[in-house]
Amino acid sequence: MTIATATPTLDAHLAIGRTHAQQPPTRSRQDDIASVPAAVRSEWIKFWSIRSNPAILGLAVVIGVLLSWILATFVKTDPDTHEVFTIAQTFIFSTWLSTVLAAITGALLFTSEVQHGTLATAVTAQPARWVTVSAKAAMAATFGLAMGAAGMIAGFSGAVLGGLEMGDTSGMVTTALSGLLLTTLAAVFGLGVGMIIRHSSAAVSTLLVWTFVIENLLRSIAPPTTSRFLPFSTANGLLGIQQAGDTPATMAAALTRVQDAFLFGGYTVAAVAIGTVLLYRRDTN
Amino acid sequence: MITVSALTKRYGNRVAVDDMTFDVASGRVTGFVGPNGAGKSTTMRMMVGLTRPDSGDVRYHGVSYTRLLRPALVVGSVLDARSMHPGRTARNHLRAAAALSGIAAHRADEVLSEVGLDSAADQRAGGFSLGMRQRLALAGALLGKPEVLLLDEPSNGLDPDGIRWLRNSLSDFAARGGTVFVSSHLIGELEMFADDLIVVGGGRLLAAESVATTLARGDSTVVVNTPHAAELAELLDNRDITVSVAGNDLTVHGATTAQVSEIAFDHRIRVVEITETSRSLEEILLDMTGATAEFASA
Repeated sequence: MTIATATPTLDAHLAIGRTHAQQPPTRSRQDDIASVPAAVRSEWIKFWSIRSNPAILGLAVVIGVLLSWILATFVKTDPDTHEVFTIAQTFIFSTWLSTVLAAITGALLFTSEVQHGTLATAVTAQPARWVTVSAKAAMAATFGLAMGAAGMIAGFSGAVLGGLEMGDTSGMVTTALSGLLLTTLAAVFGLGVGMIIRHSSAAVSTLLVWTFVIENLLRSIAPPTTSRFLPFSTANGLLGIQQAGDTPATMAAALTRVQDAFLFGGYTVAAVAIGTVLLYRRDTN
Repeated sequence: MITVSALTKRYGNRVAVDDMTFDVASGRVTGFVGPNGAGKSTTMRMMVGLTRPDSGDVRYHGVSYTRLLRPALVVGSVLDARSMHPGRTARNHLRAAAALSGIAAHRADEVLSEVGLDSAADQRAGGFSLGMRQRLALAGALLGKPEVLLLDEPSNGLDPDGIRWLRNSLSDFAARGGTVFVSSHLIGELEMFADDLIVVGGGRLLAAESVATTLARGDSTVVVNTPHAAELAELLDNRDITVSVAGNDLTVHGATTAQVSEIAFDHRIRVVEITETSRSLEEILLDMTGATAEFASA
């Protein structure tokens, strides 16, 4: 690596841009609102200038293609219904993974700033902390949407490559829109979890352990009329996924897609709201 | 002008900053000194809105930091030079900071050049030395062409050339009318370019004065070698000047070389050698803060 510590000449040194001893302008609520686009631009630069984020998007594409192609080429039929897979079914299969990756990325969007001390820089530059939260939520939502779209397009492409028939396309648009809503909300939900926990490993572990362990345990203990309200049960419902172990009673108690959407949206809003309150209350690292 | 008024911060039962009041003048470099645990970092964090004071406030030309419209255009701060993502290049680090404050993206390249990092603009910060990080952090503080610079240990990790560059840069900044508030444990270094000192210990303000005033606190000592030591000692003692004799050597406190020489000359006392020693700023500050040091060496 080249170490560059050249000493510039003094005439290139610090310049002061305004007349001194004048009272500097103060900010109002309107100024804060007007500064949101600038904060979003900053988040955009920060997000895409870290190699891991485009890599995660790429991973969603690769897995989406592979999953559909493997199903089309090697599995071919649904093991439960014995029906032949179609493109209309398989294009959505990788969205669950996109959802998990979007949630993790959303959490890291905040926790990595805490970890590297850049949150302090952001809060110093923008004292209205809700502006920073809004910008991060917008960035997380955009990435979640991109993850969902990329995963679905990849799933569609893999199924086509695998030679599947299109099948019944009547529900495809609704399923696709629900999937996009899910990945979008999941990234913002992850951001909220990251804002509450503020530690990268702890936030990611919490998301994974809750999703894959705790919620499954709760579903096996609690009656379906209660477990249907759990966060990732609503996420599954939004995606229209039937889970292993679902019984007729579980399916009978299932909420509608719209109800699931509102519930998961509610969890997302709650997580970000709690995280925002904590951001105002806690000292910034 | 920065006005710090009755600033107080408690963590549980511990008072980190206790009723701190001082002004930082424009056009001058003000050093912020005190032992570890004196409350310097907490004070600086409160000065930029990162820590909420229990009472008191900090104002920049009458406006508190959190009310500033675009703070980066008024105050440039570096509280931790490590605050950067290791996977982000220097240019992108600055571009993101510039965007947040509504500053044109080309300022990133300008400040990189100002701090001598233009050739490292596309290198990731994770590969930077501490000195390079200090320069990058300073570049971030300069993005908005601020009037005020708040820097916490900015020379930490810099090589001698870098330290000299920093010293000249900060002096130049102040000479143009800027306000520089810089904390440092390198007192000898600070002595070379600071105009004023804010001395703190145990969370309390111990002194807010010019460096010259602080130096004057260090009692100078005049050592005289003369074959007529007893006679000269008596003459000095008659003038209420403290003196001690050891053989032909006199150690004099409370008088300058000129005063002692004049007395000796008036009484035709031959002086073989006369020297004046004064205490360094570091020694004076150690005396001032010694009783408040939370972590003292054995």
